[in-house]
Amino acid sequence: MFGKRIDFAGALGFIAFMAALPLIFGGNYLIGVLTVSVIYGIWAVSWDFMSGLTGRENFGHSLFIGVGAYTAGFLNTTFGFSGWWSLPAAMVMAMVFALVIGVPTLRLKGPYFALAMLSGAVIMQRLMLIFWEQTGGEEGINGIEPLIRSQLGFYYFALAALVLVTALLLALARSHWGLILRAVRGDEATCQAAGINVTFYKIASLMISAAFAGAGGAIYAHYQLQVSPQLFAIVTSITIITMVYVGGMASIYGPVGGAILLVLLTELLRNFGEWRLMIYSCTLILILFFLPNGLIAPTWRRMKSMLAGRE
Amino acid sequence: MLEILIHGAVSSAIYAMLAVGFTLIFGVARILNLAHGSFYALGAYGAYFFTAQLKLPLLPAALLAIALVALFGVVVERVLVRPMRRSQLAVLMITLAVALVVEQVLFLTFGSEYRNVPAFVETKFTIGGVDVGGQRLLALGVSVTLIALLWIFIQRTRLGSAILAVSQDPEAANYMGIPSDRIFSIVMGLSAALAAAAGVLAGPFLTVQPTMWLLPIVKAFAIVIVGGLGSIPGSILAALMLGYAETIVGYLISTSWTEIVSVLATLLMLVFRPAGIFGKRAAF
Amino acid sequence: MSALLEVSGLNKHFGGLHAVRNVSFSIAPGEIVGILGPNGAGKTTLYNLLTGFIPPDSGSIVFKGRSLRGLAPYRIAGLGISRTFQLCRPFVGMTVFENVVVGGLGAHGSDRVDLDARALALLKQVGLLSKEQLQVEALSYGDQRRLEIARALAAKPALLLLDEPFAGLGSGEITDLSALIRSVHAEQGLTVMLIEHKLHEFMRLVGRVIALDFGEIIAEGAPEDIVRHAAVIEAYIGRGDEQAEEQADAA
Repeated sequence: MFGKRIDFAGALGFIAFMAALPLIFGGNYLIGVLTVSVIYGIWAVSWDFMSGLTGRENFGHSLFIGVGAYTAGFLNTTFGFSGWWSLPAAMVMAMVFALVIGVPTLRLKGPYFALAMLSGAVIMQRLMLIFWEQTGGEEGINGIEPLIRSQLGFYYFALAALVLVTALLLALARSHWGLILRAVRGDEATCQAAGINVTFYKIASLMISAAFAGAGGAIYAHYQLQVSPQLFAIVTSITIITMVYVGGMASIYGPVGGAILLVLLTELLRNFGEWRLMIYSCTLILILFFLPNGLIAPTWRRMKSMLAGRE
Repeated sequence: MLEILIHGAVSSAIYAMLAVGFTLIFGVARILNLAHGSFYALGAYGAYFFTAQLKLPLLPAALLAIALVALFGVVVERVLVRPMRRSQLAVLMITLAVALVVEQVLFLTFGSEYRNVPAFVETKFTIGGVDVGGQRLLALGVSVTLIALLWIFIQRTRLGSAILAVSQDPEAANYMGIPSDRIFSIVMGLSAALAAAAGVLAGPFLTVQPTMWLLPIVKAFAIVIVGGLGSIPGSILAALMLGYAETIVGYLISTSWTEIVSVLATLLMLVFRPAGIFGKRAAF
Repeated sequence: MSALLEVSGLNKHFGGLHAVRNVSFSIAPGEIVGILGPNGAGKTTLYNLLTGFIPPDSGSIVFKGRSLRGLAPYRIAGLGISRTFQLCRPFVGMTVFENVVVGGLGAHGSDRVDLDARALALLKQVGLLSKEQLQVEALSYGDQRRLEIARALAAKPALLLLDEPFAGLGSGEITDLSALIRSVHAEQGLTVMLIEHKLHEFMRLVGRVIALDFGEIIAEGAPEDIVRHAAVIEAYIGRGDEQAEEQADAA
């Protein structure tokens, strides 16, 4: 189908663009910003897969990110495992947490699920501080080894991870799995009546979402070389949600653009350093009012239909 | 033992003020207002600002702060929340965004150091051998009085009946000539005023910094879930339970565990009895 | 021939209300059975009990020789019971085609093959093929009803429970839908249970009627007999209601 070819071309173009940017403009600063934006992209895509498709917005995504990051931190500093082990380990731990918190909370209606997840993230943040002897308290875990020593190399690794995660989740979203999740959003009871084990799909998609969030957390840990309880903060979750709204809910690819856009934007406004969080919050309010379907995905769709119209 | 009794009572009273305001706006307008903690913070900061910067005497400063916060609450409801009422989740997001904006504004204006809100009562009292700050006792007394006044207001006045009617069925109330939209704004103002009053009263002995909104909202949510959404008696009872649970945990184990008590209580309630103790509307 | 569905001594209370009282009946394969009864008689509650959405207080439900008690709704649906709802409940935000596909996704592995093709075939059968790419919100109510049936059929059920399929439809649409139900029943060897108030079409469609009132079965038998049954007339139509009696006579 023509649409699919444009999509593919767009994706290739995007990857080429992202890969070329640091080569064209150079400088470690830019590479650093791009790396962070790509990691946020992973987190945003993983959020969109579950919350965007099912409509069950998760206000505690930072829980899975933090779990992944701390797992990586522990494995590396306390147990001396190399960074390549922490990625799968982080994913597994995040999935375990998703299972534990998902089973009781996924039966709740929208806002209560959101707040229950938020509470979960708040508890974890607290626990990191309470058990400061084991977790390093406010300081967190320091001295994590970088996964890849070269700045540029790490960036390409993170970019590859983003592409992989997005492709995977996009494929899943376009498959019958995605259909079921969207139907769950439409009418859960009717899904049950159609023979679909809704509970399984909700929990499974939360676990998938958590796995990749945790992987992103681990990558982040091996990039920043330290993790702190701030990762669990509500600000992280809200930032990601804003990125998804800007990108376009349920599109999976939109949040990638949303993440990169927002990170780049706020870096540009670096001089307003302390105003950054303010900008995120105001952006969210503006998007909710004026562009609830987002910016990136609708724009791409319109471009596609214009191109298709020309043929 | 007496220490626990008194300090537990003080905590419970403050929590009750917060929870009653939170459950009020939910019960009447189905708004889960995550900016409720911001009203609390603004009350405390308002009292600080008017006394420290504008050099106003304490009582007028406090009343002015409460009035302004109430007004702010009305504006937020009118401008930001009302257009989003179609979706509870959208309201949640908007109010959360407001809370973050307020936090940032407070941070940019006042910085992150702890601020001093002056107390109404500086002296310490000794009751049965236990030292209690006069401000804490005042907070306890005023909280109880305000909640009692609110209760009487709702039960005995015409406006109160209108509020009850709207909380049961806004559309039907509209047909009866009660302007539900205006009632929503009024209730939001009341709710904000209660939260601000809690901030003014508790500010002197609790920490005042820009992020002070988050924990109160988590606790208010916990209390309202345990007590039952939309139920004022339920909120008061749950506030007592949580206030005392926290105080006891604080004494027996350590103060760093106290926050977790409320969050755990919420999660457990949501799992086992989503309607809470007195609630009519379940969380699923 | 053994019964497809065997219900025995079914009871359900909601607080003080005894919604379903000691209901027992059986359905043979290939029948079209109608459930009749005034509002509040317990018809939809009966459906909810059969499909596992609410648990019975007592009694047994046996389908194809298996007990359904304690099974989750999705398991029951997977065993071969599909239902529609009183108010159309399409999956919003999705297309007509996607709705039907989801309907068939609950089936076990082997039936997933050619799900897309089957969805299209079903849409053709209910007359919605030309609209398959439309969003469901764009459909008229009558079309949404047809979609519900296509969706229910996508799971290849043995038993189809219809809950007031004619509600909200005009007389032309009713005739069309009725013909559709009949053709689907004939072609696929389906067994159908049907709750309906619109007596005229109802009587022409069903082979047997079970009449409920206040949760109890008050009569059971052929349509012509039921409609003249005194208890049914009193409960459902009301005493001294001439227009309604005429309607009953015409049916």
